[in-house]
Amino acid sequence: MTVSKFFLALAATTALTFPALAADPIKVGLSGPYTGGSSSMGVSMRDGVKLAVDEINKAGGVNGSMIQLIERDDEAKNEIGVQIAQELINKEKVVATLGFINTGVGQAAQRFYQEAEIPVINNVATGSILTRQWPDQKTNYVFRTAANDTIQSAMIAEEAVKRQGFKKPAILADSTNYGQLGREDLTNALSKLDIKPVAVEKFNIGDTDMTSQVLKAKEAGADVILTYAIGPELAQIANSMAKLGWKVPLVGSWTLSMASYIDTSGPNGDGAMMPQTFIEMPTTPKRKAFIDAYHKAYGGDRMPSPVSAAQGYDSAYLLAAAIKQAKSTDGRKIRAALEDLQEKIEGVVTVYDHPYTATDHEAISANIPVFGLVKNGRVVPAHPEDVAGDKALRVKPKS
Amino acid sequence: MQILAQLIASGISVGMIYGVIAFGYQLTFATSKTLNFGQGEALMLGALVGLTTINFLIGHALGTLSAFLIMLPVVLVFGLLQGAVVEFLGVRQAIRTKSEAGWIMATIALGIIFKNVAENVWGHDALRFPSPLPEAALNVGGVRIQPMEIAIVIGAVLLMIAIEIFNRRSIYGKAVVATANDRDAAGLMGIDTRLVITFSYALSSMTAAFAGVLVAPITLTGANMGAALGLKAFAVAIIGGLSSGVGVVVGGLILGIVENLTGYYISTGYKDVPGLLLLLLVLSIKPSGLFGAATIKKV
Repeated sequence: MTVSKFFLALAATTALTFPALAADPIKVGLSGPYTGGSSSMGVSMRDGVKLAVDEINKAGGVNGSMIQLIERDDEAKNEIGVQIAQELINKEKVVATLGFINTGVGQAAQRFYQEAEIPVINNVATGSILTRQWPDQKTNYVFRTAANDTIQSAMIAEEAVKRQGFKKPAILADSTNYGQLGREDLTNALSKLDIKPVAVEKFNIGDTDMTSQVLKAKEAGADVILTYAIGPELAQIANSMAKLGWKVPLVGSWTLSMASYIDTSGPNGDGAMMPQTFIEMPTTPKRKAFIDAYHKAYGGDRMPSPVSAAQGYDSAYLLAAAIKQAKSTDGRKIRAALEDLQEKIEGVVTVYDHPYTATDHEAISANIPVFGLVKNGRVVPAHPEDVAGDKALRVKPKS
Repeated sequence: MQILAQLIASGISVGMIYGVIAFGYQLTFATSKTLNFGQGEALMLGALVGLTTINFLIGHALGTLSAFLIMLPVVLVFGLLQGAVVEFLGVRQAIRTKSEAGWIMATIALGIIFKNVAENVWGHDALRFPSPLPEAALNVGGVRIQPMEIAIVIGAVLLMIAIEIFNRRSIYGKAVVATANDRDAAGLMGIDTRLVITFSYALSSMTAAFAGVLVAPITLTGANMGAALGLKAFAVAIIGGLSSGVGVVVGGLILGIVENLTGYYISTGYKDVPGLLLLLLVLSIKPSGLFGAATIKKV
């Protein structure tokens, strides 16, 4: 489809969807990778957001207007993310944007929203820097509904060293921003526990043979492997370990729950553990409703990336509540409303009660994620006691 | 010692793949002094066509191994056709007009087009290729090797021997060798050198497609799988010498092993560096490659 045809089709569908609407729709941008190596996260996030927006619109919209999503595929590429940001801000005149799976894309694109004073709710990307990119500026327009890397790396270190008692971790990280910033966070988190990794190895996106990396970890006497990378390469690590006949636990960032890791590593990937804000299990009524609605709308019995879907879904509700409270589509007022959200929102991940303040733009605190475990092609809770009873719903402590 | 053996064993299977792709570069260079810079994409297309075929066959209740064996000829024929198309669209005109660089841009452009087509047909995601052999590793004296890695080495060697025998023994192969030795003289002796060049391109893409289905079961298949392999194989072709079939195989093995040894003994962050250093070294000491015959260009 050519670009002009695409816009024509888009215009046509828009016209069809909103034939008799009195008020102008509220335009919300949606930016994420729907194709490429990160697409399982991007597509799940998009589906989660769409599900929430459909529910909101069916219930009468926000302040009498419908929410209209302007979806764009950033292909996980920084430069395309920047183009999309400019298009959404200047041409589409969105009131806010949801999305960003990749830390690099967020880092490059969010600058434009900050300048235009349009809020962004970053619902999947985890780079710690994303919500504090401009420490010298008075206001910050970037919010997040994901567990950032500072939280995740501390959890990984804690789980491996304290809970499981491993003493000799090896770190395997890819050479991207995501992997290398994560490796740094992990080393710091380990040193706080007085542990020094016995090996720190690196690989490139697209590497297929991890023999030397895995051998080095093995020869260094590692008793656990900590990872910061994305699905396909993580699978190659699990496969190379199986090839070398060496099995130690794999504990790593939340990307170990990616469908591309689980499907490509097959039985070799079983047992991998990672922090999860949401595990696809109906542990609360809200979660059950969400899971049922998701599969009713998109089919299948397993979400490609449950975490992305849930965080996307919640981000749309937070934004809608802020627009409602601001009684305006002005970016500054929406930001102010987000920082002082009165309505208590029951989301899939948690219950959001004043999730943000002027200085804290992270809705997910360290106590919310739990460890997931890959088992027979699905992610299940690693420690069932963590999600049992009233622990199923974990809420950010009042600041 | 065991670790060294393990690293070398893994390096050999990766190096053999580099070698087969580089062998394809050598085939077209011999007859036409041109290369297909879309060789990595030929490999990728072969693997994806193979994936669709094998999944179709498995869907018709065939075992993975028999499906793989039936799929092979399909992929080989596809490779032949794809190479002929590249030659027809990208190279023929450049050779006719004696253009020095036209074929470079044309083959790169065709490679990009093939990649875009593949992205539209098969999507952007990396796909799992069913393995025809058991995936559990064998233990050979403490060295662990996947059966598919052995199959890569055997398959690659067999294919290259088959092509060499064809070139030396058959009348058609003799035409190829004659064209490689002296295109003008071969033309005067009544050999249709244009057809020979088309054929060498077809053969070259066929080897790439074959390499694609060999490597796919231990890696992943996808539109982006060819780029890195094609580039490394190019370095291998330069190291080994573009005019020597044995040279490119040895070059491939050297690169594959050196990469693994560097990754282990120096740093995984510098895995790709020694190969490129070797490339620079060869270029400055013996520009025609380790096994290449120096050619004197008369003007």
